[in-house]
Amino acid sequence: MGEFALSADRLSVKRGGLLALRDVSFEVRAGEVFALLGGNGAGKSTTLLSFLGLLKPEAGEARVLGQSAHDNVAAARKQIAYLPEAATLYPHLSAEENISYFLSLAGLRRDKSAINAALERVALQPAARAQRMERYSKGMRQKVAIALALLREAPILLLDEPTSGLDPIAIDDFNILIGDLARSGSTVLMVTHDVYGACQVASRIGLLRAGELVGVFDAPADGRIDTDAVHAAFAGRAAS
Amino acid sequence: MTVVSSLFRELSFLLRQRAIAGLLVLALLLSSLSISTGLTEIAHQRAAIERMVLADKADRENAMAKAEDWGGAAYSSFHLTYLPPSDLAFAALGQRDLSPWKHRVNLLALEGQIHAADTANPELALAGRIDFAFIVSVLAPLLVILLLHDLRAGERAAGRHDLLIATAGRSGGLWPMRASALVATLAVCLLLPFWVGAALAGTQLAKVLAVSLLVCVHLLFWAAVSYWAGARAAAGSVILTGLVGFWLLLTAILPAITRVSIERAISIPAGGDIVLTQREVVNDAWDLPKNVTMEAFVARHPEWENEAQIDRPFEWKWYYAFQQVGDQSAETLSTSYRQGILERDRAASLAAFVSPPVLIDRTLQGLAGTDTRAALAYETTVRDFHARLRTWLYPKLFLEEPFDRAALSDLPAYQPLVVDE
Repeated sequence: MGEFALSADRLSVKRGGLLALRDVSFEVRAGEVFALLGGNGAGKSTTLLSFLGLLKPEAGEARVLGQSAHDNVAAARKQIAYLPEAATLYPHLSAEENISYFLSLAGLRRDKSAINAALERVALQPAARAQRMERYSKGMRQKVAIALALLREAPILLLDEPTSGLDPIAIDDFNILIGDLARSGSTVLMVTHDVYGACQVASRIGLLRAGELVGVFDAPADGRIDTDAVHAAFAGRAAS
Repeated sequence: MTVVSSLFRELSFLLRQRAIAGLLVLALLLSSLSISTGLTEIAHQRAAIERMVLADKADRENAMAKAEDWGGAAYSSFHLTYLPPSDLAFAALGQRDLSPWKHRVNLLALEGQIHAADTANPELALAGRIDFAFIVSVLAPLLVILLLHDLRAGERAAGRHDLLIATAGRSGGLWPMRASALVATLAVCLLLPFWVGAALAGTQLAKVLAVSLLVCVHLLFWAAVSYWAGARAAAGSVILTGLVGFWLLLTAILPAITRVSIERAISIPAGGDIVLTQREVVNDAWDLPKNVTMEAFVARHPEWENEAQIDRPFEWKWYYAFQQVGDQSAETLSTSYRQGILERDRAASLAAFVSPPVLIDRTLQGLAGTDTRAALAYETTVRDFHARLRTWLYPKLFLEEPFDRAALSDLPAYQPLVVDE
């Protein structure tokens, strides 16, 4: 295992013929929650997909536990639980069935009590668990996807807009959950538009703009990252 | 997790999707229907043959009982010829829909009897029958396309693609597994009714295995094409349109172009012209000097030269001689008709290599003995049988043997062609 759980080393990635990431470098330590902030098209999701080996770098490298994600795809993905933006899962299956299926894809098996515990942890109502997901709201679907990511028990979580669709109480619960995971040694890289949410949960925040990493904010040893400072940087630069 | 257990996992997962389950049930129903109609049709044909064999024998015995001379006996007695269906014909009816598989012939000129039904079954010639070969060669590719075209595009559209890949670890494993599970299940849905039909029909195991292999190879071809197209980063509707266009090209457009090209390149006389040529010669013979007819006959049968003199106004040997001369006059046309059919068939065999559906259909017909070659082989047995009847009759007429009704039991009997061996 390398020194960092995740590292981008002068990473440049093209999507649709355009350079979506340009010479981006950052590291995420084990047990750290790192949030990438940025507007639409800033390259946030591209960064996550690069760590999953789904995109081939034009230059540089995305590394997972010190190994190139692109050259060691299977090994990299084994270490990662990924939560996509607006994960729909399968509408004709229940939450439990969806989770069982996706876990089996990863070669994992969890008993019903473990699945229920994870769903309990994300506060999905028990009555909804056996229902087909076609009846779920966006927030409920997101909770199931988060439960799936938890059940993967992977050391690294890549979260794409994880609080999208969640109500304020669920967002608070989620932030607590992320804090717990980090304390238990999990590494979290999340991308989001939500400046406030990122400051609540992240120990560091990277600001992406037009595919370039334009700033990194560190939390002070005794508190959280200053929301106003990040917001000013985010809004100011976006406006410039 | 083993490959087999992964296959079963994907299968049980996929079968819970209504569209997929619906398509597979449709495949099972279509295959069952085609096998059922095929078995019914072949049972009807076998029953018809059984009835006709009995009726033919009774009718001939009745005619012969009334006959008073050799010529009259030959004139009024008809002989059933037929091509019995093979043990695989239920799966590929082929030319049995278009070409006659039964003729009742007598000792008059043969060409008219063979080609009189040349334009039979125009409706079936247009559409064909929905048999198992049609389902496998034409509709099965469409089912493969419908099942596989949005294997990935559907997941991309639903926003699950990246999650699936990230969770499954290797992208190379999930899609082939899903495609294999779907194609294998489709193959079972198509073949299961065939296997039942083959058991009921007593089809040889080698043929069952050959058909099963053909079906699997054909499905694999379309699965490979659909899989390749489905891997493009395009919308499912775009992939589907492209694949259906390709299917249309291979199953309808190319075969139609090929057929027209072959028909233009290899011309064959019309069956009606053969009938007309033969009948004109037979009719004209009544008005011609008898020696003209007999000279033409003796040219083919020099062994009867010394007995070819016709002294009376009507003699059976003259009558049957001008029947044969009628056939001789149509011989060139008839030969070029058969050669043309064979040449077209050979050309179609080569052209089939650019259209897998046509290739599969033709191969199934070949295995079932229902193809053009089988139809021509049957026609050859009719010609041979007719020649044997003439060989039996001519000595009696030309040597003027006294009529002996008991000797009629020595008439040659038709031996049907067995295509199951």
